Parts: sequence; structure tokens; C-alpha cells
Amino acid sequence: MHETNWGLLIVVYLFLGGLSAGLFFASGLANYLKVDDKPAYARVARMGALLAPWPVAIGSGLLILDLGNWYRFYKLFMHFRWESPMSIGSWLLTVFTVIAFLYLYSWLKEDERTWIFSKIPASWKLVHRLNVDISSWRETLGMIGFPFSIGVGIYTGVLLGAVSSRPFWNTNLVAQMFLFSALSSGAAALLLAMVLDKKNPIEKHETKFLVTLDVVFISLELFIILPYLIHGELSTQAVKQALDLILGGPFTFIFWGPFLFLGLLVPLAIEVYELFPAIFKGREFHGSRNLALAAASLVLIGGFLLRYIFVYAGQMSSFHSKMGLLQ
Amino acid sequence: MAMKKKRYALVIDSRKCLNCKACVVACKAENKVPVGHFRNRINEERKGEYPTLSINFEPEQCHHCDEPSCVRVCPTGASWQRKDGIVLVNYDECIGCRYCMIACPYDARYFNEEEGVVDKCTFCVQRVDKGEVPACVETCPSKVRVFGDLEDPKSRIRELLATRRYKVKEPQTGNGPQLYYLL
Amino acid sequence: MGTIRMDRRLFLKTAGATAGAVAATQVGCFKYFKKGRSTAADAKEIPTTCELCPNKCSAIAVVEGGFIRKLNPNPENPKSRDMLCARGNAAVMQVYDPDRIKQPMIRVGARGEGKWKPVSWDEAFDYAAKKLAEIKQKYGPEGTLWSSTEGFQEKFFVNLGQAFGSPNIVRHPTLCLASVNLAYGTTFGTVPSFDMLNSKYVIMSGANRFESIITPDTMDLIGSVMERKAKLVYLDPRFTVTAAKADEWYPIKPGSDLAFILAMLNVIIAEKRYHKDFVETYTLGFDQLAEHVKQYTPEWAEKETEIPAKDIIRIAREFADAGTRALYYSGRRSSWYENDFQMRRAQAILNTIVGNWDQMGGMVPNASLPKGEFLFMPWDDPKASRVDEVKTNFPLAAASDGVYLKLRENVLSGKPYPIKGWMVYKQDPMNALPDQGKTLKMIEDMDFIGVIDLQMSDMAWYADVVFPESAYLERTDPVEVMPGIWPAVVYRQQVVKPIHDTKPNLEIVQGLAKRLGLSDYFDYTIDQWVEAEFKDLPIPMAAEHMKKHGVWAATGEAHYGKTLTPDHRFVTKSGKIEIFSERLQENGYDPLPVYTQIAQPPADRFRLILGRVGYFTHANQSNNVWLHEFMPENDLWINPAPAARLGIKNGEYVNVASSVGSVRIKARVTEEIRPDCVFMLHGFGKKSKMQSLVYNVGASDAVILETAWDKVSGNAAFHGTFVKVSNA
Repeated sequence: MHETNWGLLIVVYLFLGGLSAGLFFASGLANYLKVDDKPAYARVARMGALLAPWPVAIGSGLLILDLGNWYRFYKLFMHFRWESPMSIGSWLLTVFTVIAFLYLYSWLKEDERTWIFSKIPASWKLVHRLNVDISSWRETLGMIGFPFSIGVGIYTGVLLGAVSSRPFWNTNLVAQMFLFSALSSGAAALLLAMVLDKKNPIEKHETKFLVTLDVVFISLELFIILPYLIHGELSTQAVKQALDLILGGPFTFIFWGPFLFLGLLVPLAIEVYELFPAIFKGREFHGSRNLALAAASLVLIGGFLLRYIFVYAGQMSSFHSKMGLLQ
Repeated sequence: MAMKKKRYALVIDSRKCLNCKACVVACKAENKVPVGHFRNRINEERKGEYPTLSINFEPEQCHHCDEPSCVRVCPTGASWQRKDGIVLVNYDECIGCRYCMIACPYDARYFNEEEGVVDKCTFCVQRVDKGEVPACVETCPSKVRVFGDLEDPKSRIRELLATRRYKVKEPQTGNGPQLYYLL
Repeated sequence: MGTIRMDRRLFLKTAGATAGAVAATQVGCFKYFKKGRSTAADAKEIPTTCELCPNKCSAIAVVEGGFIRKLNPNPENPKSRDMLCARGNAAVMQVYDPDRIKQPMIRVGARGEGKWKPVSWDEAFDYAAKKLAEIKQKYGPEGTLWSSTEGFQEKFFVNLGQAFGSPNIVRHPTLCLASVNLAYGTTFGTVPSFDMLNSKYVIMSGANRFESIITPDTMDLIGSVMERKAKLVYLDPRFTVTAAKADEWYPIKPGSDLAFILAMLNVIIAEKRYHKDFVETYTLGFDQLAEHVKQYTPEWAEKETEIPAKDIIRIAREFADAGTRALYYSGRRSSWYENDFQMRRAQAILNTIVGNWDQMGGMVPNASLPKGEFLFMPWDDPKASRVDEVKTNFPLAAASDGVYLKLRENVLSGKPYPIKGWMVYKQDPMNALPDQGKTLKMIEDMDFIGVIDLQMSDMAWYADVVFPESAYLERTDPVEVMPGIWPAVVYRQQVVKPIHDTKPNLEIVQGLAKRLGLSDYFDYTIDQWVEAEFKDLPIPMAAEHMKKHGVWAATGEAHYGKTLTPDHRFVTKSGKIEIFSERLQENGYDPLPVYTQIAQPPADRFRLILGRVGYFTHANQSNNVWLHEFMPENDLWINPAPAARLGIKNGEYVNVASSVGSVRIKARVTEEIRPDCVFMLHGFGKKSKMQSLVYNVGASDAVILETAWDKVSGNAAFHGTFVKVSNA
């Protein structure tokens, strides 16, 4: 058994990074889909834009604090090493965060901008020069940011998947698993935020959009998890031993119960139930506020647990089966 | 004068290992390893039922691989490899992200909390560069480890590898580890 | 859509400020890395001799910036064979141990309470001398006991006791190897070394050489077994590392090794596989032996030893057929049972009849080297006779070493006369003696206890005055000759100045001597002493050589057969190797080993057996932080079958109780021990708070071991205690 080198801070960071990616993606998509030449889900897009940069910004802050020498984080930006997922990732994350902040800024209303700049001393003329309306950049920013958001969603998986010495991680599927989890968490978070926004109550068609998005992503995630398990069990002994951690080992309950059942299957069921009449019977989408809340919360918990299980179980898995460490 | 290419490696005869820990302490002293951490270790395997029993000891440390995962994943290049194969950590460049610790198939690295950097066996590079052998090699009562240059056809390790059967640990990773265990 | 323009000057100013901030943090980092990355430019290498165990290996100390950074093996010492074990390497932490005694201390408060007053050396000497003088006044100088353990500076302490007028010098041999030494000495007139390097067939009773490191035996045996394909047969109730490497291991019934050897003698003699010429030329008493061992058949031995008769027969044959390169290894710590002497005698006899005396691969009498002697003023012999009455009770034992456990019994009884003062050097009787309760009672009876030690051992913890000795790396010691097959001379010279207010033993002795009016006997410096020793060394430019190299080996070659000349006279009564010993007979002991069964534990109890590991030295290294890491706490080995019966689980605490005490210790349920035995290491369960890593951690075997000793040598018998084990 090894001590865990990467702990809760990394789990939280991976979750928050994916969350920002998903929020940006959903917002970008919401802005892109048009009805009569106008964005069909403008409010969804705006909410997503306002939320998107924060999780990854906080997560990056946590990540820097987790370093052995936090004040050396800048060294990450003095190198670009293709073979190191962490090197690519830090660049990716930084560029994405900048774009996300710009994107957020492009969605601010005039009075919101004024309010922000009123907090800055008038003498900082240079900063006040930045008080401009870049709303016309929205679509461009959204399109530029798309690949970066996908990149952030994938990279958190590649970070783990590229480690050949951890059989629990070392599969081609981890990147996609984390991506779809990130995208579904983003949609769920956005749904949660909009449902809880008392000032601008969410409308049915917006709920339907987000719920549909979530259903698609959860399903995709399940389509990745299934082969991960099946292929793994048909693979080498090291992989099988690694999977034992969730098939009888210490992570079994948390994987099948809280994560798979509560975090994926239950919200999927709820959301399919909500969509069922609209899809199959041509009738109204339910749009129940409480069910949306429940489903979204469960998805977020599930997203967090996925990272938790993978980070911890992965570190337990190795090639050493019998030989122990120091007496 | 052209420098001849070198490739340092260790040949280990585990059968002779007594688990006396001399190598572990010698390394600790030579390399100022903090208490609670180790750069090398003796793996133990105990099997059987009384009175049919066996105990086997197997020394292990950084394998200074040909294709080290730790060097590959390091985001700042702090983890790097010399031309003679010795894998080192540049303590000034290491940010302490510990990715290398996770990437190592052999659990060879440890995190030095006080200095906030990752560390591991360096083949006592400060000794090797003076023409000496690593501390663990020198101090051993059984002379379990043999250190040498694989590119030197007259070296003892070349002789051992040519005349004895051996294995490496976890070859499936493709890392090309350079600790050879005699069978 | 506006454009963002930036004032270039302002940009540079901001950039500059940021850069400055970043640079400031970098400087902070540099500080972090200055420490611990010292350059080797100012390194010095000073050869010396290790003192972490009795092996006295040669080491080269690497000193950087005034600190000892590392100890490297010295390849010039043939005994240590270019190695330095875990303890040798950990000597650095002996010097820099935060728990070390840093200055003399006098007890305030009760004994064992741990309240100490740091004092000056003068105060400590004055106090001790005063108390010793008082005791001398009331009880005579024989009222003081001087106990010590071997070391290069031990002689000064022993001399002080003798100069003081006390006959009561007691040393460690009767807690260790007195029985094996006496047995071989009685047989051959000298105790030989064992040429493991060249043996072809080795049998070892206990003697866990691969964990209890003895140089060069340990290294030569691993070489023999692993590289030179020698065969190793190993008898031990435990599956130790030696058992794991041996060709054959038998979990022999404890105490029956004598039966095994007698049966081997039976077979070898009956089948005429012994070395006829050797026996006829050099030995005495073979015929009596042949008659005597007829009763000890392999079938009989199988019942005693639980080793199959067919194996005993086969091993006897293989052993004899290996001829002069067959060795029954004598072992070293022979403090096992009350019949231990006779068992070692049987070994010596077995070795004799295969003719391996003074042969390659066999027993080789030690060669030695001359050295000079510093002539100091002699004192009168003490008037009183020893308090342990060695000459009457143990006529063959070495009187100068004393018989420790008998001595303790007499001291406790107050007969033949009271002992009221106890000076201790380099020894921890609280952990070295069995039945700690008795030791505590003995301590209680003392008017004065003074201890000279590096660390606050349990004995020091109960003392009245503690004199901190400088560590071996901090002092220069007398030259030591190491006799053996490859004899060598070693030197210990100061590597660093004492880092605390400590003194070498000689100076402590001189401080006491001054106040006891004995200065004249110690009127020299260590340098003068050493110079005198250098003078007669058979080395050209001896002083320079020893200071530069730390060791001188006479030759790389071993010499065999020097005693195998027809006119050679062995130092025995008959001048021959005495298989049959008249001397033993005259003193009322069996002249040939007679088998006696030792007591076996009742069904609900276990025999407690002892042993060592390669990274501790007895009880005194467990507090060394670099060694303690390997075993933070000791445990009790117990076989799974009895453990299951008693409901004992691995890692849980159990109570272990004997007739004299009880301890609480973690259980290690393991297949690696006989079901009727339990095992524990010592060095834990300390009472001294200044052994902070092992204070109250684990358990001390001294608390539960019972007192017993071998009849002939007086050597302690440590394996006869029966304990009850139950869940705590």
C-alpha cells in the first residue's frame, strides 16, 4: 500500500476544472443555438458565462497551494513539455480561464460593468480604460473557447490515464469518462443555478434544454464506464487486480452506490421521466422544479465522487502485488 | 578528448541479502535523507506454513530507467536524466506537484515535506562522479549489489549479465529499468 | 467596441515591480536549499574504529564543515571485510542524538524518579569520590562493585576499581559467552576462530549469524553458502534469516542440541568416519568417548530433538565426510541453559574427531600481534576475596570476569559481606540482567550508584551520578590488537571534538582517582599510552601508519597447521587436546558431556527464547533514530496454532507473565517459530524518559526473565523461563 500523494485538494481541483469546462460548453452551446436569428437560450448562456470561470479559478488556486513550493508555480509557464500531461494541462487551463473571464465580461450588462468599476479608485485610469462593451465578441469567444473547454474536460482524464504504472487509470477511456462527466456536471450546475435563481425564474424550455443536455452526457458517460469495467475484467492481471478495488475492494460500495446509482442512474431516470412525455408522447415536458433540483444535485455529487474514487483508488493500484515495502 | 558513453546500472543478487539494513542507513547518512523517508528499501516475501517456510529479501531503489516515466511527466523538467542514465531531481526547479511519484511504477520516490520537493535514489551521483560506488553498494556485508557501467565491456556487471540469468521488475511498463536481479 | 491601449511606461513599471516581487521570493527559496546541500570541498577523511558493537570494524569518517556526515567501510581491515553494518552507519546519529547526556548530572529526588541537576565535573567527581570514600570507610574497599562491558577504554575503569582496592570487578562474559569460551578452552587450551571462509559443511546450533552479525563469520558464511556452495545445517526453534538461507533447517526442541551432537558422535565413531591419525596424535580420551556415546543413538536423539533419526545419521555422515572442512560452529552468545557448557564441550569434541583443528575450513587457533605496553604504577592486590566467591563456586570460571548472576544473589543476601557502592561503565544491568525486579532491589540496597555512559540507559536513570562519556568518534582510545585467523591492529582516533560537555573514560577515571588519592596510578595521558603501544607494533612507522590508515593487517594470508607439529604442547593439563577432561573431573564435573534433559514448559505455557537483529546492538541502539525506524516497537512472536487457541490476533496487545514479572507487548502471530516457544527482542520498554523513542514503548524482557546459570561456567541461562500469554 502506498501513501496517497494526491489527496482531496486534487480531487476538488479536478472536479472544479471539469465543472468550468462543462459550464462554458453549455453556455457556448446555448448561445450558438438560434431561433429566428436570435440565441434561443440567451439567459442560460449568460448564467453559464457568469459562472464558468470561477470553479477553475478557485481550483487552480487550490492546486497551487497543494504544491510543495507554491510560490514556484510560475515555473509551469517557463516550460512546455509535450509529453507531460501536466505541462500541457497548465497551459490549457490558463488559456481557458482567460478566455472564460473574457467571455464572462462580454456578457456583463452596462450597469453591472459600471458597478464593478465603481469599486476601483478613480485614479487608476489605466484600469478604467478597460471598461468597454465587448458583447459583440460573445460568439467568437464562445467558439474559440469551445475546443479549450473540451481540452480541459479531457486533460483531467489524460492526466491520470497517461500514467502507465497505475493500472486503474491506464486505459484509453479515462479521458472520455472525465470529459462527459465534466460536461454533464456543467449542465447540472447551470440547471441548479437557474432553478435557484429566484429573481429570474427558469422557464420550461430552458429547463428542457439543460435536462436534455444532461441526459445525453450521462448516457455517454455510462457508455464509457461499461466498457471500462468489461474490458478491464478481460484484461491483464494487474488491471483486474486494480478493478478489484471497486469490485469487492474498499471502493466497491462508494462506486456502485453513491456514484453509479445515486450519481448517474437516479438523475438519469429522473431526467428521462421528465422528458418522457415530450419525446414519446408529444406532450408537455414536465419541468418540475424540485425534480430538476434533485437530479442536478445528484449529478454534481456523482461528478465529485468519480474524481474521488479515481484519484484514491488509482493511487492504491500498482504492479506490486505481493512484495511489501519496508518492514 | 571524447568522453566515452556511459550507462550506469546495478546488478543485484537478492539471495545474499540478509535484510540487515546497512544499505538503508548508509544511504540515509550519505544523502541526508530525512527521518521517515527512504531512498532504498528491502522488500520482503514470507511464505509457507510451519515448518515448511521461506523468507526472501529483495533490495530496491530507483531503477534509473531507460525511458523514465517520471522524467516524461514532469511539467517543469525538474526530473531529468543524465547521459549516463542517472535520473536526478533539480531541486531548484521542482515545484512539488508529485506527479512523478504517481507515475513511477516502482514507488521509488518520496516527498521531502521540509523542502517541498520530491527526491529519490541518485546512485550517489556525488560519489560516482569521483569514481566511487554508491554507498549502498560499498557498505553491504554480503556485497549484494554490483554497480557498474554497462558500456564498459570489462566491467563486472557486464560479466554478470553475460553469464547469469536475471530479471528486471515490471518490464511490461516499457520503462527499461536498469536494476538487474540475478536469478 | 473600444480598443485597449496601454501606456508603455506604465507597463514597464508594472512589469518591473512584478519581476522584483518574484525575484524576492526566489531569494527566499535559495535559503531553503543552502542547508543540506553542502559542498564536499572541505571534506576530511579520518580513519577510526567503530564501537557500536563488539566487532570493532574499521571505518573512515567523512567530516564536512566540522560535522560527521558519513562513515565508510575501510577495506584494509580483514576482519570487517570492507563492510559497515547498519549500526556502524548509524554512529553519526549516536553523536548527534538529541537524547544524549550532555553534561554530568546528579540525582535530586528519588532513584528512578528522573529528577536531575546538571552539575560541573568537579561537583560530580567530588560527590562520587566522597560517597565511595564513605563506603570504603564503613565496609572496606570490597564494599564497592565495579561492573563494566568490553571497550577499548574499559581497562581504565577496571584499573580504578582494582586500585581502589576492590576485588569485585564484574564484566559481561557471564551474561554472554562464558560457557562456550570455557568449553573450548578446557578442550583445546585456547578458544579458536572458525574459518567459515573455507568451510564446506557447517552446522550451527542457534548462532543466527545472518542477523547477529559477527565479523568476519557473517560475511564469510554468506560467501560460503551462496557462492562457494558450502552446506549449512541450522538448528533453531525459530525460522530466522539464517534458517531462510540454510540448506536445512530443523526446529530443534529447545535444549536438546547436546543430544543431537552426542548422536552424531555415536554415528561417526560407530561407522569409523572420524580422522584416525589426528585423534591418535593430538588427542586424549577418545576411547572413553567411544564407549560413552554408545548409548546416544540417533533413534534416542530423535525423541529428544524432534529431528528424524535418518536425518541425524545422514548429517553425521555428510559432516564427517567433509573431513577437515566440516565445522560445528561454536556460537557466541551461549547464555542458553544450565547445561550449556557441556553442550559446547560436545561441539568441541565433535570438531576434534573430524580433525578440523588448525586446518583450512576448520577451527583455527588465533594468531595475534604484539603491541607495546604503557607501564604505569601497579597497585597492591585487593585484600578481600571476591563477593561472588568464584573460586569456590566456579573453580574453572574466569575469576577476573566474575559470575554476574551469582554475584547479584550474594549482594542481595548481604553475604559473604555487603556491597554498598556500585560503579557502572558502558553497561545497562537493568536490561542486561534477567529478573529486573532483583536488579531494582540491588539498586535499592546501594548507598551509592555512579554510571558512566553515553546515553541515559535505564541503569543510568536509577543512578545517583551520571558521568557522560564522549562518543567513540569524539575520542582517541588505546590501540587494540584483534587476534584471529587474519589478525589485525586497529586504532581509534578522535574525529570531532566532543560536541557536549563529555569526557573520555580515562579522564573520568582520572577525575575520580584524583579525589580518591589514586592519581599516581593514572598519571598519564591517552597520547602517552598510545605512543607506548605504537612502539612495539610490528609496523614500520607505526604511529604514522595507524593515524593515516586506522588499521594494520599482518597479512592477507591465513596460516594453518602451526600447532600440528608432534612436539606442540596444547595449554591443557595433558598437553593434548582433551576429549576426556581430567580437569573437569577433578572439579566435580562430568569429564565427558552427559546428556540431561532440561525442563520443558507445561502445556499452557511457552518457553521464552531470545535473539538479535542486524540493526540493533543488544538493548542500547533502539533509541538511535536511524535504527529505530526499522522497529518502532518490539513484539512477541507466537505460532498461529497456540495463538488461535488463546484467541490472540496479530498486532494486538498481550500480557506475558513469568514467575518474576509481567509485561504488555504486541503479538506477532507468525509461522516462523515453534508452537511451544515465544520470542521477543530486548531494548524496549525502557524506564528512562531520556530514551525518548523507546521510553514505555514495547516491553523489556529483563522484567520477566528468571535467574539461572550454567553450573560449570556460571554463564547466565536465559532460555529457561516459562511464560503465560494472554490477551491484554
